[in-house]
Amino acid sequence: MGVLDYIWLGVQAVFWGPEAFTLLGVYVSVTVLMVLAGFLLGIAVGATPGLAGPFAMAISLPILISVFGYSPDALLPIMGFLIGIMKGATIGGAVPAILFNTPGTPDAFMTTLDGFPMAERGQAQKALRIAHFSSAAGDTFSDLVLFVCAPFLAILVEAYLDLPEKAALLILSLSFIAAVIGGSPAKGLISIGLGLLAVYVGTGEDFYPRMSLGSEELSRGFPITTAVLGVLIIGAVFKSLEEYWGERRHLDPAQTPPQAGDQRLHWADIRRLLPYIGRSAVIGTAIGALPGVGSTMAATLGYTVGRGRYQKSKSARDPQFGEGAPEGIAATEAANSSVSGANLIPVLSLGIPGNAAAVFLILAADSLGGFNPGPAVFRFSADFVNPELVVVFGLFTCMVIANLFNWTIGGVFMRSMGFMINIPKSLLLPSVLLLTLTAIYVQETRLEAVWFALGFGVLGYFMRVLAISPLPFVVAFILGKTLEETSRQAYSATGNDPFFLVSSPVALIFMCLSVAVIVLSGRKPKGSAE
Amino acid sequence: MPAVSRSNLILGLVCVAFALGVALIWVPLDTHTGIIERVRGRYSIGDALAPTVATMFILLGGVWLALFERRARSQSVIDGDQLRFISAMTGVVVLGVLIMRYTGPALIELINQFRSDPLEYRLLRNTPGWRHVGFLLGGVFMVTGMVSIVEHGVSRRAVVTGLVATLLLIVVFDLPFEDLLLPPNGDV
Repeated sequence: MGVLDYIWLGVQAVFWGPEAFTLLGVYVSVTVLMVLAGFLLGIAVGATPGLAGPFAMAISLPILISVFGYSPDALLPIMGFLIGIMKGATIGGAVPAILFNTPGTPDAFMTTLDGFPMAERGQAQKALRIAHFSSAAGDTFSDLVLFVCAPFLAILVEAYLDLPEKAALLILSLSFIAAVIGGSPAKGLISIGLGLLAVYVGTGEDFYPRMSLGSEELSRGFPITTAVLGVLIIGAVFKSLEEYWGERRHLDPAQTPPQAGDQRLHWADIRRLLPYIGRSAVIGTAIGALPGVGSTMAATLGYTVGRGRYQKSKSARDPQFGEGAPEGIAATEAANSSVSGANLIPVLSLGIPGNAAAVFLILAADSLGGFNPGPAVFRFSADFVNPELVVVFGLFTCMVIANLFNWTIGGVFMRSMGFMINIPKSLLLPSVLLLTLTAIYVQETRLEAVWFALGFGVLGYFMRVLAISPLPFVVAFILGKTLEETSRQAYSATGNDPFFLVSSPVALIFMCLSVAVIVLSGRKPKGSAE
Repeated sequence: MPAVSRSNLILGLVCVAFALGVALIWVPLDTHTGIIERVRGRYSIGDALAPTVATMFILLGGVWLALFERRARSQSVIDGDQLRFISAMTGVVVLGVLIMRYTGPALIELINQFRSDPLEYRLLRNTPGWRHVGFLLGGVFMVTGMVSIVEHGVSRRAVVTGLVATLLLIVVFDLPFEDLLLPPNGDV
């Protein structure tokens, strides 16, 4: 089995997997259909302020598992759907940002700065076309980097890192996430510590489940869905509702300013925008490859760099950045969209989730079984077929299909989603909360899972109030067991060396970097965590 | 000169106290193996190590907050309004789940008062109507309650939203799948 054989098997698994239907004699596979459905749902969700891709991914997962069951055949349709949501939500967020000055997703905030002024000048459709083109271009570039880099990184990790180095790498990842998410490394450390503590309840190697307080419910540990959905989704719902409750507002239906003039995107426009798109795509991809650094930072950096170039090259009659410059939209959208593909580099090659969307992909893999993201999936075994590697190339194929949908029908669908802003948050979010609790119950079939999720939701709410980012908590919860297991194995493999984390040069470098990244991030002047 | 908030200092000290409490009391008392264990002459990592390391992260974060970030310019605080809001929200969700849990069995108990051969909810929970009654009432209460809190008053659209959302969930989760159990039918 060579590399090309694996790629071909992955493509076949997507296109010739379980059949959905035959259209005019053409075989349509379930996976392709699921990518399309996820992509369209993602655009709709992204276009709805108050919702975001991770919401839709969290809610869809238990329903999809119910539809497809727990089997390896379910992996590609379900993960294809989630990938579709992830990509769709990125472009959907620009719709209300441009039309109504309200970002659909946090990373579309910078899009409002130039998008809405363009809409006010009667150029909304053109602004949406620019956002779509830039977003699709950035996303495609990022995916290409993922396809090339993830296998190489995984092979390097497998070739050069032994158990102690892998344990040190996990600690470095956690430290990095604690340092870069939010504005306070101290709060990042607290979030990491709470996540680790939660995952260690009711687990362990001893017959007695540790820290279970003698309770049968706690002795089984917290199910991963309750912690992830509780802290990420229920906590976010509570916080959004509290903001709405505090504002005591009754919004009138949003109106788009009247549109006039040429709304098409011409080749001359594209040529002018390409340098901004290219620069932002590189920035977004580089940021996306680092665990924990999200698309909002990529958008901000892409916008800032784009503004610097624009100031030097713009003519006197061109609008400034922030006053309706098309280049501002292009720089922002290319940067935030190019995060999504690159974010899967640490997921697939190291098993480390870098953002909330990646968390749900790992959750899907964990729930379905048969696929454990990490360096081992990239073993190009010649003698037998490595099924996990086939799944990886199947996922890459799903991403290519989603990009094709994005380039072909994404723009039209995106431009039709302006009405989503009129769905009141005060009605939508309580329904989302009931849906989340129901989805958790359906998956766990025990009421204590609902209580756990509610408890984690309240924790997530307070974390947001206190500006403690919940993402390090979730990443620590996901990586906690792997970290403990790897450390146990490394301790045994090094002949019970208590200094196994610093005994090899590579592990020592990782540990020094873990300390350095926290200390250096703490030295930056900061007001407070976000 | 405006007074510096003490929020980070208090949060840091709470985290330090929590971490020390967990590491020195909860972990040793509620874990049967120590940090390092010796079994049949061989050393291995015990179950207490991982949670102790977790508390070190919290302890370090708490000390850092209390020492180095206590004078940060803008510090987040929990105010009384937020406590009232989250208490009300949690109360509505808890009540909604309890309604889901006990409506079916309570109705059966009520009906049994008028029957000579008593019914049992466990045997009826898969029949249409009975399998939905708790979820429907609890779900409508939960969504209506939350909408009413957020909009500062009960309205017809809050009730309609609760009804539509709950019925939609029944359609999505229950009608197409024989093997899925809506709350609380996996527990009773």
